[in-house]
Amino acid sequence: MLNATGLTKRYGDVAALDDVGFELNAGEVLAVIGANGAGKTTLIKCLMGLVKFQGNVTVDGIDVARSGPAARRKIGYLPQNPAFHTDLTVAETALFYADLKRVSAARAHQLVETVGLGEHAAKKVGALSGGMRQRLSLAVALLAEPMLLVFDEPVAGLDMPARLELRRLVLEQRDSGRAVVLSTHWLEDVPYIADRVLALERGKCAFLGPASESAAAISPLSRLYLRLNGHTPDAIGIIQEAAPAGAVARSGDWLVVRCKALDKAMVVERLLASGIRVLDFRVEEAPAETASSFHDLTHEGDIR
Amino acid sequence: MREIAVIFRKELRDAYRGRWLIAFAGTFALVALLLSLVQGSGGDIGQQGFSRTTAGLINLCLLLVPLLALVLGASSIAGERERGTLATLLAQPISSSQVIIGKYLGLVAAVWASIALGFGTAGMVMALVSPITDVNHYLLFVALSAVLATAMLSIGMLISVLSDGRLKALSIAIVAWFVMVLLYDLGAVGLALAVSSSGRTLLLVVLGNPIECVRILAIMSLEPDLEVLGPLGSYVANEVGTAAGIALLGSMLAVWALAPLAAALAVARTRDA
Repeated sequence: MLNATGLTKRYGDVAALDDVGFELNAGEVLAVIGANGAGKTTLIKCLMGLVKFQGNVTVDGIDVARSGPAARRKIGYLPQNPAFHTDLTVAETALFYADLKRVSAARAHQLVETVGLGEHAAKKVGALSGGMRQRLSLAVALLAEPMLLVFDEPVAGLDMPARLELRRLVLEQRDSGRAVVLSTHWLEDVPYIADRVLALERGKCAFLGPASESAAAISPLSRLYLRLNGHTPDAIGIIQEAAPAGAVARSGDWLVVRCKALDKAMVVERLLASGIRVLDFRVEEAPAETASSFHDLTHEGDIR
Repeated sequence: MREIAVIFRKELRDAYRGRWLIAFAGTFALVALLLSLVQGSGGDIGQQGFSRTTAGLINLCLLLVPLLALVLGASSIAGERERGTLATLLAQPISSSQVIIGKYLGLVAAVWASIALGFGTAGMVMALVSPITDVNHYLLFVALSAVLATAMLSIGMLISVLSDGRLKALSIAIVAWFVMVLLYDLGAVGLALAVSSSGRTLLLVVLGNPIECVRILAIMSLEPDLEVLGPLGSYVANEVGTAAGIALLGSMLAVWALAPLAAALAVARTRDA
């Protein structure tokens, strides 16, 4: 269904993508993960033929670089920030894109209803919320019943119910035989929806394989902020034992611990078991990082 | 073709909805009527017939029409790119060439409509006030305005494709207008005379600017002895002769309408969305 080989995209001397390749079959979901700037959006733009690139991409045997419009007829695309003409209404927008995709007006109206925008059909796109624009973008993506769906960070800006709904939608599309490429930097979505994972790091393929094997290769990071009751030197030793690959730094009254997400509970548990009171704490979940990025981070700490 | 037609229809609808089509038509009508009023003896509109009004309108339109067309053309693709809607469009089953051609044809149709509506309305008002004696001259002037707009829109589209943002495109368009309309006549004549004083050099200077082409075409078609249309116009009109000159200038205007557009299509094919 989708075949990409030797994908390389350079902006001046910087390689945004460097020799990336994969295959995707019908009824499969490929999650493309990586930190911001890893090359996810560039990869998606290459797949859509929106940028010039080296390498080869075919969709159902059609070369994207040579026959872009024909290839895109088979693709439904949900961009990260959908941009529509704000002076058109929801219905007019759906009809405009239906016309471009040679789809009937009835199908356009039906999809506007399906994505829950029926009662907003007469509303100008400029007056829609971000979530509503995402829904409209989804309707446009599904108009021509594409064989391949390409979602570029679709969960960015969505609340949890909308995010769960998107998960359900991706699985529905997969079950109906469509291939789905889903770019995301939130790893917790991956086990629920992806069959395969492509991890990008600085434009290069850091991992490509089954989703079940991705956890070992990719380490989500947590940044744990701890305010203790004064036993800081003791606490640092305990933290270093609990999270051997982590890094600890001071920030005012806080200890900042950067460690694997799996280790953060262990850090708190060990501190409490050692009689050190945790007065306050908060956690920041970092975007997906591969093992080598994590290794870089561990060498930035003030203490270790 | 269908994709081009879809973009064409949207562009026309945008022109109508955005009200600039009506605003331009109103401006054209107002300018024509005011000029006729000023030039008419005793203040009667159309008292001197179409001829004097047409001659005055040519000079005004050589300023106004290029400005409007350049600005419209320059803001079209650059504006879509800036708003992110160009990337959305190009993610559909459509090529950049189809988008550009559709938008260009839509803008041409909209500008032609505003010219026809504006000058048509003014012409009818003038005809009502005084008997029509030389309506053909007026109609020819309207047609030349439309041809000039077509060529300038093409240049505007090229500027738009080359520019990253709308503001940059508009700035380049204004500079281009200033050079082509205000500086070219005297600057190019001076340069041409400095290099060579032959009629051939001056003719090349005329052909190098669609506004000059229309100016000379107007001289040849309307009033060959009209002195008010600039030194270059009078000189070249005498050098070339009427029939060959009209054919040459008409052909050159066709080139001006197509060549920048072709360049825009070529540039767009090499650019990222």
